[in-house]
Amino acid sequence: MAKLRPAGERYKYPLPIHPIENLPQLIPHNPISWVHWLYCYYKSFNGLPKRISIKILARKYCHIIVDDPDEMLFLWENGFFGTGQLSRSEPTWKARTIARMGDLCDEVDRGKSNLALEDITDRRRLQRIDFKKKRQQFEDQLLELRRRGGTIEDESKLVAKERESLRSLKDQQLLSFKKQNDTQLRSEDSELIDEKGELVNLESLELTFVEALFLSFAIPVLDVSPYVLIERFLGPIATLEYRNVYPSIKQYVAYHHYRSHGWCVRSGIKFGCDYLLYKRGPPFQHAQFCVKVLDVDETHDYTWYSSLARVAGGAKKTLVLCYVKNTTTEEEILRLLSKKNLTKALSSYEVSELIYRRWVPGKNRD
Amino acid sequence: MSSVDEDSKQQVLIETPVDSEAEDDDVIQDWSDAAKLSKKTTQTSLPKRGEKDYEPDGTDVQDLLLYRARKAMFDTLYNAARGTTLNNQVKAYYVPAFSEAVIPQPKGNFLQTIGKSDSNGKCWLQLHEFVYLAERGTIAPYYCKSFPIISGTENQDFEIPLSMQDLYSFFKSQHEMDRYFVYAHLKRLGFIVKLTEDHSTDYTTFFAPSGDSKVKRKLRLAFRSVLNFWNKQKCLALNTFFYGSWNFLIRKFTSTPQIYLGLSKLIPTCTPPKTIKDLHRERFLASKKDTVPHLELVFDLWKPQTNFKKKSPGLPDFQVVIHNKNDANQHFPTYSDFRELFHSLDYKFDFLSEIDDDISWNDHCYTNGVLRSEYLSSLKSKAVQMKSSIHNKMLRSKRGKPIKSCSPAALQTKRLKSGYRSFLVAVMDGGLISFVKISEADFGSENVWYVPSSSLKRNKGRNRKVSQR
Repeated sequence: MAKLRPAGERYKYPLPIHPIENLPQLIPHNPISWVHWLYCYYKSFNGLPKRISIKILARKYCHIIVDDPDEMLFLWENGFFGTGQLSRSEPTWKARTIARMGDLCDEVDRGKSNLALEDITDRRRLQRIDFKKKRQQFEDQLLELRRRGGTIEDESKLVAKERESLRSLKDQQLLSFKKQNDTQLRSEDSELIDEKGELVNLESLELTFVEALFLSFAIPVLDVSPYVLIERFLGPIATLEYRNVYPSIKQYVAYHHYRSHGWCVRSGIKFGCDYLLYKRGPPFQHAQFCVKVLDVDETHDYTWYSSLARVAGGAKKTLVLCYVKNTTTEEEILRLLSKKNLTKALSSYEVSELIYRRWVPGKNRD
Repeated sequence: MSSVDEDSKQQVLIETPVDSEAEDDDVIQDWSDAAKLSKKTTQTSLPKRGEKDYEPDGTDVQDLLLYRARKAMFDTLYNAARGTTLNNQVKAYYVPAFSEAVIPQPKGNFLQTIGKSDSNGKCWLQLHEFVYLAERGTIAPYYCKSFPIISGTENQDFEIPLSMQDLYSFFKSQHEMDRYFVYAHLKRLGFIVKLTEDHSTDYTTFFAPSGDSKVKRKLRLAFRSVLNFWNKQKCLALNTFFYGSWNFLIRKFTSTPQIYLGLSKLIPTCTPPKTIKDLHRERFLASKKDTVPHLELVFDLWKPQTNFKKKSPGLPDFQVVIHNKNDANQHFPTYSDFRELFHSLDYKFDFLSEIDDDISWNDHCYTNGVLRSEYLSSLKSKAVQMKSSIHNKMLRSKRGKPIKSCSPAALQTKRLKSGYRSFLVAVMDGGLISFVKISEADFGSENVWYVPSSSLKRNKGRNRKVSQR
């Protein structure tokens, strides 16, 4: 359950595999401490005590689901994997519902509830509506003044006043960003409570194919073999065709590349690209880069590129074109896959990047 | 909607988008003050326009403001003196045999950056330069029936005045047309533009003249491929273990970076040249290809400057490729096309000055095979150049703090965002031109993982259990 603790502590580990840190102090002149240290070192283990179990639903377009609440939260807090099905990204549905229903739920549960990102967005929207209303009032006044035939000096006075009061409204809004505790109940809410009076958890965490492959192939987190995943998504390994495999491999190669250099990689579907790159993670910083993964000899109409760049630029992100090149042959990749040598297959791809940016002559003249 | 709110110019916007990355277009000038500007030139820059009204409100005031703004524009346009003075007119003759034009008696400011003079004191213009100057009204275009023109003879038979339509008909292909449009566009914006392939002037290059030693190159290439092979095998062995089922059972990682380092060996990346040495090495190893590339660098671009030397221009600030969006024979460059363009770049690699503040370009480029600084001193124009370098230093200090004072994280972000070698693609769509800057990036050499501070590390043992289960 999300607790009120600082983000720096909550999201301390960037990967679900944690480093060994609880080794005792090593005292050079005390041999017993060596033994103790060695014993602890020997006993400690990087992997998880129990691998996270997943369900693969549907036949043709598979969904990879994690539905244990603790495991969902664990994947989110350690590297921001997956997306809550009923939330924006972090699985917060339960916390939000508890906050909304208030007294109906256990008091204990309520104490834990935190202000979810979705709530914050809602509140900002309301504030913006307030702001716009106030602005409209001034616009109406200005119009009235013009109709009455006011001078330009009068108008500019009014405009100055408008700015002044709008600015103070903004300041006020910032100050009054306090917790409003209003419970809203809906008629169907009673069905959400089970016989013990506890909220039923409807939400589960959905992993994308690349995320699941990373969590099973690169680091042992999920209790599934990468080849099982590949079989479910791409078909039986023995009869794979390159044109079916390549798109997914291309995506995974790019994903692994950025993940392995420390980026938090999330889907870029909302910005029309393949991936968004966050430093540390979404709670800390806005994503700075949009990544589009391309084949080396792939080309599109200019409009395709310019629309991508416009969306990315409008969100103050830099567009990165990531080209994935196969350095061996298609047959070799298929052969390696059928021999279950994913490591060698993946490392025969090479990644290179270009930055695509609109260039405005007037701003580059000095 | 038109701009009406003139008086709000002095006031600050409520929410000013401060970020310079915000992609707004060039500011449109406010005509109401342009007329005043031309009279008293104390003000150096054009004033910006005020805020726009959101919608027509049906009042007279708005109409009045609109009327005033419009009138100011038309007044400005009407009042300016137009046309050329006959005495100052410069005649240029188009010589079909060379597809070039000649100015027998060259004079005018434009000569600082355009055209090349021959030994007879005549100035030769390339077709696009000729059309551009004619379109601006700087020169009067004539057709030259017979060449050479006997200067001084004002024989009407030799002079057929040309119209703009005539001039445009001289372009032989769509490609030449596109070239002209991009040239004229950049020229009007104040840039100094030259054809990249035009090496008639004293040619400056970033790359040292090298003795052509094929053997040495082949050896280097062979050595490189052996090294690459070896590295690949080594990585493969490491990876096979890392991604094997025993890895986390046997090995103990005591910090997150160790895990990341293991992970990052899997996907090889292409590293672009980043230093002067890298650039030279890459040029040395690059082999000359016989195939005609899909795209070629067309223009060299210099930022507007007063001490531009037409005879030995030095390294350009940008290089431009032209892509016509509507031409069925062209496609937007693929990665391989981009690669070839990057290999052929030869400009003032601006990312080098991001690494080193005091890079002196004259010591790193070669004119006619000698270091440019030596070349310049031999020209005895050192004084002028000194002035310009002082000027450059002042510019730099104005631009912001020196590189060394930036934090490593800020520098890293800068490297990632602006990349390394770059060039411009001018995309033609009908008559519209938009520019794109393509730069090489290197995410493979930058690690951005978060290293927790030691204070957090100390109370971790407890947290680990909490957060794991």
